[in-house]
Amino acid sequence: MKRYIFRRLGYALISLLLLSLTIFVFVRLTGDPTVLLVEPGASRADIEALRHDLGLDRPLWVQYGAFMRNLLRGDFGSSFYYRAPVLELYLSRLPHSLLLATTAMAFSLLIGIPSGVLAAVRVNGWGDGAGKVFALLGLSMPSFWVGLLMILFFSVYLGWLPSSGSGTALHLVMPAVALGWYFAAAHMRLTRSSMLEVLGSEYVKLARLKGLPEALVIGKHAFKNALIPVLTLAGINLVIMVNVAVVVETVFAWPGIGRLLYEGIAFRDFPVVQATVLLGGVMIIAVNLVVDLLYAVIDPRIRFQ
Amino acid sequence: MHQTGSLRSAFVAIVASAVLALGAPAGIVPAAAASAGEATWALHISLPPSWLDPAETPGIITPFVVIYALHDALLKPMPGDAMTPSLAESWSSGKDGLSYEFVLRKNARFHNGEVVTAEDVKFSFERYRGTNAKLLKDKVREIEVVDAQRVRFRLKEPFPDFMTFYATPATGAAWIVPKKYVERVGDDGFKKHPIGAGPYKFVSFRPGVELTLEAHEQYWRKTPNLKTMVFRVIPDESTRLAALKRGEVDVAYSITGALAEELRRTPGLKLQPTYFTFTWWLSFLDMWDAKSPWHDKRVRLAANHAIDRAGINQAAYLGLSKVSHSLIPQAMDFYWAPPPYTYDLVKAKKLLAEAGYPGGFEGGELSGDMIYGSAIGEPVVNYLQTAGIRIKLRPLERAAFYNQLGEKKLRGVAGVGSGAPGNAAIRFETFVVGAARYAYGTIPEVDDLFQQQAKELDRKRREAILHRMQQIIHDRVLVAPVLEPAFLNGSGPRLEESGLGLIANHAYSAPYEDLRLRK
Repeated sequence: MKRYIFRRLGYALISLLLLSLTIFVFVRLTGDPTVLLVEPGASRADIEALRHDLGLDRPLWVQYGAFMRNLLRGDFGSSFYYRAPVLELYLSRLPHSLLLATTAMAFSLLIGIPSGVLAAVRVNGWGDGAGKVFALLGLSMPSFWVGLLMILFFSVYLGWLPSSGSGTALHLVMPAVALGWYFAAAHMRLTRSSMLEVLGSEYVKLARLKGLPEALVIGKHAFKNALIPVLTLAGINLVIMVNVAVVVETVFAWPGIGRLLYEGIAFRDFPVVQATVLLGGVMIIAVNLVVDLLYAVIDPRIRFQ
Repeated sequence: MHQTGSLRSAFVAIVASAVLALGAPAGIVPAAAASAGEATWALHISLPPSWLDPAETPGIITPFVVIYALHDALLKPMPGDAMTPSLAESWSSGKDGLSYEFVLRKNARFHNGEVVTAEDVKFSFERYRGTNAKLLKDKVREIEVVDAQRVRFRLKEPFPDFMTFYATPATGAAWIVPKKYVERVGDDGFKKHPIGAGPYKFVSFRPGVELTLEAHEQYWRKTPNLKTMVFRVIPDESTRLAALKRGEVDVAYSITGALAEELRRTPGLKLQPTYFTFTWWLSFLDMWDAKSPWHDKRVRLAANHAIDRAGINQAAYLGLSKVSHSLIPQAMDFYWAPPPYTYDLVKAKKLLAEAGYPGGFEGGELSGDMIYGSAIGEPVVNYLQTAGIRIKLRPLERAAFYNQLGEKKLRGVAGVGSGAPGNAAIRFETFVVGAARYAYGTIPEVDDLFQQQAKELDRKRREAILHRMQQIIHDRVLVAPVLEPAFLNGSGPRLEESGLGLIANHAYSAPYEDLRLRK
């Protein structure tokens, strides 16, 4: 088991190293950020001074060396645009992203799981049809569009909810629904297929033959087993929600990591993009590592492969 | 059966309550009402901490949204005067153009109660490291603190643009910070809790999210009317408009196109265009190549007559922009008004035929940045094609466009825009004269005149030289100016005076102490 753990940790470190190199090179392929930080009419001297100030006049390998050295000390550099430590910015936004992601996840599970169960229980019936329509809409409607429609309807026409920002529970409702909508549809589909598989299994048939009430068969015997893949997916989706809510956070002016990443990309703020992508990568790799280790604990065959 | 029935009943109940809820009268939950004496601005661009410190003023105008509130300058643009004495009650310059003296106001105080002194002025200038810092500092030999209320700048050589750089948003060097406080807390500490001499005091700041300020009651000019000001960053313009409609914000910056039309139609909201020294023009990059059709002046003149500037203005800016005939903005110092180019398709085609292109020609590409290159560039391409100039639009990401333009990698025609503050000479230095970053060719006569004006201390003679330069540019048809795009904003019903457009060439609300809520 120890060897297995060390091997997985080694893979994780290699992945992070490759990610750091990839993101470092890719952001620099987008061009010179100094042009975005000054007016087009700025003098050559101003642009050169800014380039020097940001350390962009040094060779690429020197910049990468400095980036990695600082990274080992836990320093992600200073934002070009904010002129503040990136880690400080990231940590100030992280709680907002976590709050939004957990609420959106709760919404997606509350909608996705019951509707998935209903669709499976009433397969090819009205519940299943409604579920399919819901899944189709959820997976095909872009979240920014859902967001804008919600703002128009619930903020402008009805005046029920604040259009944007953060601070109260009401501010959280629309961004969480807009973000969770897609995932609710995904969870609904997975719950449905998982439930259908379980409902067709021998032990469920046996439970029915024994004459157990249908609610007990579905709720106790089928539902619990069908939930395992859904919750595994939900764990990974939660990390994705924290890191990729770029559009939703921008539409609702929600001060999370996604908006920070959007600003980083818009202003070619290399340190911000590098840090958000890298820390997002750390989260995803960590979750995958935990999942791998849990699988190994559950299934001994994996440990011995 | 029973189970199915329960599920169905539950579903019906949920739908019924949703329908009832949706049918409830609008506004049952009141919109976020602002507290008395408070107003909120929805910003279109993220707020970095560096904007709280005038020493770091970058070469863009947006930081002045905050600087005008927190800080004050010796002189600054105010309603009716582009160089209004503010912290300085008066100023004078030596006849030799080698010295400038400023007398400070006795009643000007920083937010911590300290009086603004000549030492603070000297310290702020020396500390300044923002846009054009080197250019300005290279000209100054020494700064003399004559007494607590009097400061004198001595220059190395006469510099006619000293006041343009020092006393306008061309730099942030004249915006004064408290020396003792900055020395005590350091640069980072200052950005975390800035203290200035402006009409509003710092309360709280979440970088990129929200800035809250409160009135500085001892402000020398007057006690501000609004008690609290909040600047909220709302990146999406549809959301900004929704927030304005709902009364969550009182001013929303940058609402464009169809949304601006929607704003104009909404009762209670006001569409308020503002202007700054921004011009968008076509630069004929290939005109310096003798083999290119663009080398022929008649072709460039044809392009100018082929564009319906008023039509583009109406379609893209609801007619609120200014039609342009020069790369120098109309409100900029030393502007010369050229004879306007009429929209005359027949004349354009005739000129092309005279130049040897009766059937038109392949004009190459029109490169431009994504925003203005598309909004204005696209109709321009259509007009040119109608005249027979077959040209393709090539929109590029802003940084990529200006990079390639500066590195002289583009061909054909470029749609160039600039909102850099200053005067005509400063704009020529960047876009026209031989050594300019974005100039693809040079006219020796223009270069000579540029050198002459740089040494000319007599304003009238200097103006005549700069006008002559503009005349040559017009005669040689170096560019096809199109528009001075308006900056479209909205204000809500609570504000009686939003401050939008009060100061000429300032795109944002100001002066903040003059803003008023409706009673």
